[in-house]
Amino acid sequence: MVFLFGPVIQAQETDLNVILQMIYSFAFIIYLFYAQKIQTFQMLRQIEVTLRKIKNLKEEARNQTIKTLVEIGKPSGDIAPRVDRFMDFFGIGLENMDPAGIVDKMDHFLKTSKHIYEAEVRVLAPNATPTERNNLENLIEVSQALNIYYKVIRHFYLLGKKTMNIYIIMQINMILPQLIQMVEAYSSGIQAFQEGMPIGDGVGAIVAAKLMHGYPQRDIAEEIVAAEVPYEGRTLIVFKAKGPGGSVGNPDEGLINILNERKGKVKIIITVDAAGKLEGEPVGQVSEGIGAAIGGSGKEKFKMEEVTNKYKIPMHAIAIKQGMEHVVAPLVEPLFDATDKAVESVKRIVMEYTEPGDTVVVAGIGNTMGVGQ
Amino acid sequence: MGEKKGNMASAAGMTASWIAYAAILIVGLLSLFSLYMGFINYAENVDIAIIYIFIGAAGFAAIGYMLLRGKPNVAKQEPLDVKKVEVYTTLECPKCQQKRVRDFKRGDFVFKDDEPCTRCDGMMMITKIARKKEEEKKKEELSWL
Repeated sequence: MVFLFGPVIQAQETDLNVILQMIYSFAFIIYLFYAQKIQTFQMLRQIEVTLRKIKNLKEEARNQTIKTLVEIGKPSGDIAPRVDRFMDFFGIGLENMDPAGIVDKMDHFLKTSKHIYEAEVRVLAPNATPTERNNLENLIEVSQALNIYYKVIRHFYLLGKKTMNIYIIMQINMILPQLIQMVEAYSSGIQAFQEGMPIGDGVGAIVAAKLMHGYPQRDIAEEIVAAEVPYEGRTLIVFKAKGPGGSVGNPDEGLINILNERKGKVKIIITVDAAGKLEGEPVGQVSEGIGAAIGGSGKEKFKMEEVTNKYKIPMHAIAIKQGMEHVVAPLVEPLFDATDKAVESVKRIVMEYTEPGDTVVVAGIGNTMGVGQ
Repeated sequence: MGEKKGNMASAAGMTASWIAYAAILIVGLLSLFSLYMGFINYAENVDIAIIYIFIGAAGFAAIGYMLLRGKPNVAKQEPLDVKKVEVYTTLECPKCQQKRVRDFKRGDFVFKDDEPCTRCDGMMMITKIARKKEEEKKKEELSWL
């Protein structure tokens, strides 16, 4: 611009023109040296705005958790300090320098963690029923997750501010939209866990419940219930986490017990679970594939794959697609309706891949909160 | 909560925002002056007047950019809060197929025998629990996808 208008300004040599030319030159020099600094400040401000929102959210989650614990559990005395202490509860990740045997260690680790949560909730909510206790465990986990998100973002914000290192600030700034999505997803679970409503992750459990409802049921593993369902001359052994409390159970142990009981005489295994959808895919789309449809730590998947490989049983998978925002939020209608489509998919796979007299195992994977059987 | 929100603003953050506002004010005044000079010089010297007007317009454009760019995208989004959604429970009588829909209440779960049927002597069972449909969002021009 200075080059463009320079000749004109020079042609009119007035004091004002000289001042304006100086201002422009000065602004140019400032921008040359401080552009990155200005960008850093802008990014810091973006992080600060988000951080304030997340702080409000995690405090709201904490307050709601305490309120629900008091309402349901009717504890004697003030539980707030104990809840605050438990908000900082952590699990030290397993050492994987020598990964052999890490799955069993993971199993032990997860069981210890579950035991700790159960014990803590028993103290915080002494009058809660087992179902309510399961839901309260989940509620505490959501509050803990929000607390962790807040602390990690705050860490990078303060570190960036202290060092004014654009690369530290940039890495948190670039993933802010995803972080907000995750925080929103967790926060939408608070209402569901407070009230014990079915959540998006529970679609697999609903499919299993629809298949096994009305048939005699028995416990086959920790928090896992199964039923034998006759269907077109075949026997379907359907299992899911025991509801209606918020639990995912130990489906790997359930499957191992069933297969060992039947000495591997099972034609196919069908796993049904919620799966993350890609942008553009509709909520509630039912897709079919092969493999173990199960998320979590990987321990369950590993054990399921191991046992099916031992008996060489084909494993079919049915995925009910949903966004991150649906996973722990109260179930949306398209997802509930998708469970009917998934039931039809299970029946079609049974008809196409098995003969009368065969046995089929159907595993409904996911959190069974708000879902009976 | 509001008080806490206010307390959260760090001193550095406040300083930064005041500097930004002061810069906007100064640039605004200079731009206004430049535009004024442009208009009063227009009759006498068109070349100089155009330069003044250009500088004034550029100044206001810079202010607009600062205001828009200064507000982060995340701040423009809906405020983050613990959302409460309406959830309904559908009950059906297995005997007479009578159907009833009511608001969800704590303790409801799918396949729970909940209440006696009002039409026959059967028990109504909860067959569905789902979130009420949100208002349909405006259809985006993405149908080709």
